[in-house]
Amino acid sequence: MSEPAATVAPDGACAPAAPTPATEVVLAVEGIHCASCVQLIEMQVAAVPGVAAVDVGLASHRARVRFDPARADLAGITAAIARVGYRAWPVLAAGASRERARARRMALWRLFVAGFSMMQVMMYATPAYLAIEGEMEADIAKLLNIASFVLTVPVIFYSAAPLFANAWRDLRLRRVGMDVPASLGLLVTFLASAWNTFVDSGPVYYDSVAMFVFFLLGARHLEQAARERSGAAVEELARLQPARANLLPDWPRSMRAHEVAAADLAPGDRVLVRAGEAVPADGRVCEGRSLNDEALISGESRPAAKAPGSAVTGGAVNLVAPLVVEVGAAAADSRLAQVVRLVDAAANAKPHWTLVADRYAARFLWAILALALAAAAGWSLADPARALPAAVAILIVTCPCALSLAAPLAFSAAIGNLATRGMLTVRGHALEALAGATHMVFDKTGTLTTGRMRVAGVDCAPGAGEAYLLALAARLESVAVHPVAQAIAMAAAPHAQLAQHHAIAQAREVPGAGVEAHVDGVPYRVGSPAFVAQLAGPAPAALLRHGGSRTLAAVGSAAGWLGVIGLEDGVRPGARALVAALDAAGVAVSLASGDRAPAVAAAAQTLGVEQAQAGMSPDAKRAYVASLQAAGASVAMVGDGVNDAPVLALAQVSIAIGSGAPLAQTRADMVLMSGAPADLAHAVDTARRTVRVVRQNIAWAALYNLIAIPLAASGAMTPWMAGLGMAASSLIVVANSLRLMPSRRARGPAAAAPSAALPAAA
Amino acid sequence: MSQETYNYRVVRQFAVMTVIWGIVGMLVGVIIAAQLAFPALNLDIPWLTYGRLRPLHTNAVIFAFGGSALFATSYYVVQRTCHTPLFAPALAGFTFWGWQLVIVLAAVTLPLGITSGKEYAELEWPIDLLIAVVWVSYAVVFFGTLVKRRVSHIYVANWFFGAFILTVALLHIVNSAAVPVTFWKSYSAYAGVQDAMVQWWYGHNAVGFFLTAGFLGMMYYFIPKQAERPVYSYRLSIVHFWALIFTYMWAGPHHLHYTALPDWAQSIGMLFSLVLLAPSWGGMINGIMTLSGAWHKLRSDPILKFLIVSLSFYGMSTFEGPMMSIKTVNALSHYTDWTVGHVHSGALGWVGLVSMGSIYFLVPKVYGLKQMYSTRLIELHFWIATVGIVLYIAAMWIAGVMQGLMWRAVNADGTLTYTFVESVKATYPYYMIRLLGGTLYLGGMFVMLYNVMKTIGQGNAVDAPVVKPAASPAFAHA
Amino acid sequence: MDILYLLVPLSVVLVLLIGALFWWSLSSGQFDDVEEAGRRILEDDD
Repeated sequence: MSEPAATVAPDGACAPAAPTPATEVVLAVEGIHCASCVQLIEMQVAAVPGVAAVDVGLASHRARVRFDPARADLAGITAAIARVGYRAWPVLAAGASRERARARRMALWRLFVAGFSMMQVMMYATPAYLAIEGEMEADIAKLLNIASFVLTVPVIFYSAAPLFANAWRDLRLRRVGMDVPASLGLLVTFLASAWNTFVDSGPVYYDSVAMFVFFLLGARHLEQAARERSGAAVEELARLQPARANLLPDWPRSMRAHEVAAADLAPGDRVLVRAGEAVPADGRVCEGRSLNDEALISGESRPAAKAPGSAVTGGAVNLVAPLVVEVGAAAADSRLAQVVRLVDAAANAKPHWTLVADRYAARFLWAILALALAAAAGWSLADPARALPAAVAILIVTCPCALSLAAPLAFSAAIGNLATRGMLTVRGHALEALAGATHMVFDKTGTLTTGRMRVAGVDCAPGAGEAYLLALAARLESVAVHPVAQAIAMAAAPHAQLAQHHAIAQAREVPGAGVEAHVDGVPYRVGSPAFVAQLAGPAPAALLRHGGSRTLAAVGSAAGWLGVIGLEDGVRPGARALVAALDAAGVAVSLASGDRAPAVAAAAQTLGVEQAQAGMSPDAKRAYVASLQAAGASVAMVGDGVNDAPVLALAQVSIAIGSGAPLAQTRADMVLMSGAPADLAHAVDTARRTVRVVRQNIAWAALYNLIAIPLAASGAMTPWMAGLGMAASSLIVVANSLRLMPSRRARGPAAAAPSAALPAAA
Repeated sequence: MSQETYNYRVVRQFAVMTVIWGIVGMLVGVIIAAQLAFPALNLDIPWLTYGRLRPLHTNAVIFAFGGSALFATSYYVVQRTCHTPLFAPALAGFTFWGWQLVIVLAAVTLPLGITSGKEYAELEWPIDLLIAVVWVSYAVVFFGTLVKRRVSHIYVANWFFGAFILTVALLHIVNSAAVPVTFWKSYSAYAGVQDAMVQWWYGHNAVGFFLTAGFLGMMYYFIPKQAERPVYSYRLSIVHFWALIFTYMWAGPHHLHYTALPDWAQSIGMLFSLVLLAPSWGGMINGIMTLSGAWHKLRSDPILKFLIVSLSFYGMSTFEGPMMSIKTVNALSHYTDWTVGHVHSGALGWVGLVSMGSIYFLVPKVYGLKQMYSTRLIELHFWIATVGIVLYIAAMWIAGVMQGLMWRAVNADGTLTYTFVESVKATYPYYMIRLLGGTLYLGGMFVMLYNVMKTIGQGNAVDAPVVKPAASPAFAHA
Repeated sequence: MDILYLLVPLSVVLVLLIGALFWWSLSSGQFDDVEEAGRRILEDDD
């Protein structure tokens, strides 16, 4: 994938900012097949001096390494990975995609050799199955065996070579990986068959050997394809960012454009975005009017109108007319790059289930080896002819891969699914926690309501003018990003000059209350009436007469009240349906808002929420969540991601409605970029389905092994049946996980449109 | 240096001879069909007896008619798709004259009763040697042209042609291994059931590679060209090729069901014959679906009718073949006229129609014309031929099943219900229908001959200049 | 069935030959852009 930047400068999204300067690289690692590979690589890389953190994804085949550039370098890290037998290269390196294509071609070719040989070997083996006892002469049988042997040799030495290499690496490191039992089974079968062909006479199993290798490689190939598909949603996001941009060096004097790499754009550059092209970087429109499709970035399916001054987002598709855009941030810092990085990090994180499966898979492998040995010993006493097939069947029928694939593949498919709906999963545990949430607590502002407040009326104290009051409040609130502040700023815009003469100093925001500042040296407050009352004394009753369902922003100074601005807030479309859906899903919904009681009550009533708490300070919200948790609830907190950070941290899972706050600073576990409540219901549904699929996968893998192993040990299962069973069991896990992928139809035309427009942009 | 041109001369020669040998071979076929209905028609002349004319018929239609069509189309396709004239033009000229000599020698020796007695490989050892020389020259010209191609990619039709050339060489050399006794008599290098096994390994693969792979090569070039759209799925055509190559080799023993061949070898033959169905139908669907979205062209374009209907016969006979290789079905069908019907649905329907369609496409091109002299005559030919085929194979199906049932019918006391001659008598009406069908098919060939002659009269023998490969960096020959 | 001493080794050799041919065709990029290859014969103006 062409991630905008492989090297991510000092830690952005995935963890709290590290105090030391660190560089992060994303490496593609070839050769990962199981959880033990992941552990091994992590151990190795973590041991390199200067490496601060390493995280390897089983599903994504990516390693994210954060290191101190003064003490470690990329070459040292890839060398450490190579020492344990894997190949790694930076995702953005020029050779990465070629390297990947080459690896893919080699794998296909190995699969082909195995399949082709299997067909031919089966052809030589069928006579032995078809012939009646004594019908085929011994020399003909031997001839056919020799032919089978010749065609099985390439299967063993070429197709199965990676299996043996992996097994050998594991043995050298004194541990048991997934390929050890399989390799052992293969080698034993092949050597015994060769012995029976050339030295002794007896049964041969060349067809089983070839079939097993073919099935195993085939299953891995399909699994690889599934992995790529489950990561496709994220890759699709990353692909949105065009590689080239039309730089306008002489704008506005000349429209002469020349093409540059999008990665080289610097803030302040002017670029031309023609209709049908994708916007190369975040920025602001200088010239032109058009519509932009930002569906994959914001989840908003309606095209957004753009005019001079509008902000544009990198990766959006410019639909109607050309735009001249001034670049605001380098490609690597763009919103899209941040989104990709966030999702990528989450897909790499290991949820609880993965850790459990990994732990069992390792023990399981040892048990298999012991069991095979026991079966061989047991049968050689009872019936020596069956000792070998039984032991081999045990070795190859067991499928730890199904066990270790069960969780990661499902999670990465689900994360990809959510990402296409504008729902970013930032922390690995988020889906599990969301699926298990019994309570969902909404911070009313900006979640269930539109967040786009509107000034509905202004009540002035005697002597103050409405316009002046708005202009002053807007200047005071300019330090805040609260929706109230935005609404006031919007209403005050035509009158801004009325408050220009004031000198404003020492402005500070008191979370959940308002802003305090010195105006011409006098302390002023704007915010909740209670907050202002502390400074200005009890409010004149006339000012508060419009309480009701309005949110009130009071303005006052030590000298008294200046007035009260009344704001109204709309309920988001779909919010009511969301509450009903959550109710139906057995999730208790409550509102914990800092707003005034009447406003909260009104919203709660319209939405059908029974538990609504108003006028809560952040501390009170914290206490409220803690009390729910003490009563045994698992809480999902939905907030705007900045104001309520402490509460978000306390909840089991936190979801930010992210359109307002900068992504990189979010402390939430998930970010809902679209802001559409319906997507929240979808997220809960997806999370629950994901956990269900993971449970099914693990249950299936356990059940399969539980049934297959006794069958194999009892000698009832021939090696080729074991091979088929093994391949089928992991393919079922893969197929089950892929159910979580977004279906083409469900994603609808809005999501499909930009990708259709992409070729034109490329 | 004057502008480089494709070598169309040898293509023209083979194309014209395709029509002429088609008439000769089919005429002999009609004669022996008439002899089956009216035995007296051999006029008591030994050279004209059924036993001597039948190998002449098969050799003439398969190797003279089919062979010439394959030479003509493969030489044309390999030059056009490789954007280069033929390698070793003199040797290409030799393949034409050598092949004609082989055919003439066959036409002389077979009626004289000079034969090795192996079906589809009757020619005696001196002629076999000549065939080997001509065939190796053919391989040199074809693969030499491939080597000097100006585009990197080798078009799928060439893969089929290449496989056909190589495999036929191998089959011919292995099967024709013989110990000469005199100049006109030899004995097979293999004895008894071994000889039967080699013979049917050859016989079946001759069908597979001569009559299938080669003509699939035609299909993959001329259908897209005539329909003016790329093959439905090029990817599928590649899969088709490799799957066919890998499975065809092993189906031979089904020709020896219920013989001295060990049972397990017969069963293998049956198994792999059934497996063959998948790639065959994959190829057929791929060819027919090439027309998807342009079905209307089928209404107005008789050449496309030839090509597409040939594919449906291909599908029919590749379904019928595996069915007949199932031992229980084979117990009924073996040695009856059903087999003859099956062979002719493949030969008249598939091989014949696809060759005619391709030649109709080819002739105007190599004579510097836009199209054939008369499209209506092509249309007429198509309908005469199709009606002929339908009459032929329907008659043979009914006759075959009837024969099989009569031969196996037994009375309560275990004696046979019918004598052999009773089944011959019952077949008589169907032989008449077959004769009618065959005559119609032959009549179509005369229409074709007239049309081709008129076309040649209008045009000139022009060699088209070599087309530069379209500039596409991915395809530049490094 | 002595003939198998000829046919079986012959088949093994053939299999290896076909395999080698497939290897060449794959590694030399014959199948890299198959859709373009299908269209190409039509851009031949004849």
